[in-house]
Amino acid sequence: MISFFEALRYNPLLLSALIAGLASSVVSGIIGSYVVVKRIVFICGSISHSVLSGIGFCLWLERAKGISWITPLQGALATGIISALLIGWIHLYYREREDSVIAALWSVGMAVGILFISQTPGFNVELTNFLIGNILWVTPHDLYILFALDLFILICVFCLHHRFLALCFDEEQAQLQGVPVNMLYLFLLVLTAVSIVLLIQVVGIILVMTMLTIPAAIANLFTTRLSRVMLIAVLLSCFFCFSGMALAYHFDWPGGATIALVAGFVYIATLPSKKSF
Amino acid sequence: METVVSLQNVSFAYQGTPVLKEISFDIKQGEFIGIIGPNGGGKTTLLKLILGFLKPSSGKISIFGKYPSSTQTDSICRISYVPQSLRFDKQFPISVLELVLGGRLSHLPWYGRFSHADKLAALEALDRVGMVDFHHRAFGNLSGGQAQRALIARALASNPNLLLLDEPTASVDAQAELDIYNILKKLQGNMTIVMVTHNLQAAIELVEKVICVQNTAVILNPQQVCEHFAFGLYHPKLLNSPPKMKS
Repeated sequence: MISFFEALRYNPLLLSALIAGLASSVVSGIIGSYVVVKRIVFICGSISHSVLSGIGFCLWLERAKGISWITPLQGALATGIISALLIGWIHLYYREREDSVIAALWSVGMAVGILFISQTPGFNVELTNFLIGNILWVTPHDLYILFALDLFILICVFCLHHRFLALCFDEEQAQLQGVPVNMLYLFLLVLTAVSIVLLIQVVGIILVMTMLTIPAAIANLFTTRLSRVMLIAVLLSCFFCFSGMALAYHFDWPGGATIALVAGFVYIATLPSKKSF
Repeated sequence: METVVSLQNVSFAYQGTPVLKEISFDIKQGEFIGIIGPNGGGKTTLLKLILGFLKPSSGKISIFGKYPSSTQTDSICRISYVPQSLRFDKQFPISVLELVLGGRLSHLPWYGRFSHADKLAALEALDRVGMVDFHHRAFGNLSGGQAQRALIARALASNPNLLLLDEPTASVDAQAELDIYNILKKLQGNMTIVMVTHNLQAAIELVEKVICVQNTAVILNPQQVCEHFAFGLYHPKLLNSPPKMKS
């Protein structure tokens, strides 16, 4: 373990990776709590996987077409928001076959991404980075974007928490009280998409659901207030990032997978305590 | 007396299957109405039409002379709805006070913090249903009767003119049922109350008018419900006979 702390001091790459992990823990805990209590985990899975299409497209533009100002992060953000709005629209107006459409978007999004990456010469290794994450890939510029998005999500949640709570608990009541529930639902999905993009930097597309659901699911076992669920989820998420990265460094394992494994292990260990509540 | 709810030839169909046909009735201010009828007869559908969650296939519904919409913000026609407590996720992390504050959402400023007055209104509403000591408890840990009372408190917190309840005594014990009826008795006259119920005795003792819903609606006086009961509930012959209005 000491070697991990020492490495943090001497390796700026590792330090910025850890900062990225902790910065995304803040949003994963908060937004993840909404995702868990609103039961939109499957929707988030679809958003996170369809984001690959944007990543692939931007990589292709950047590397194969030589448009240098485009980055995969921008592509991820744009497709995340587009697919969140699309899924939200399906949920609101095409509820009969909602799950099938969401699953279709999930796989089609990935297929588009894989196609573009395959057409990007010499960069196939990046596909693995996006799928299973490579936290060391975070640049200082990405960190600033992460912080800005963190701040944006925190401000939104601070102002909208009571409305989101009502939306998650009882949409009909919120509607009777004049809350624009459909707009709010779409906005929650957009915030979720933004968080997913942050988390992809840390754990990758395949493991992003871990960070979004497990901390909040564990926290929900121990408290009965959504605000406290969020606080506990943020702390747990930070702990998973930190311990996961330390373990990954120590054993030379992939970071994202180790973080996800730590989270999963803790979740399984805490599940039996549910009976006492 | 002012008409609060008015339905004119309202029909509703779920994907081609007719649920309600040609329903017309008026509810006046301050009345206590009971809606009874067999399962699948369209009681909840009728309630959702009045709330504006569903749009009628044909006919007109007006609430306080206006047509309900999905963005009901007019403070003059405040409608509150008490759903069945069974509908909710027991695991959902929400305290009783947070739940009742949900009835004050229309007062929430853009920055999303409830004022002291809103919190007081929520606590007062909890006091009216005898639940003020439970305000820190988790909603999911309440008994069926307590949860139902908390939901009534949420409805009262918004100072409604029209209170709609969907089987408030379904799945609660006898004492809790009595408590809920006592709460409603106290509210009687202060606001218009429309209650869907399975409990015929309550329908007879509490309410001033009974709307019997079975695809169509028949308006009866409580005394006539007894008559129905003697014939067997929802006796087709009686349902089809023209209602005798005594009031």
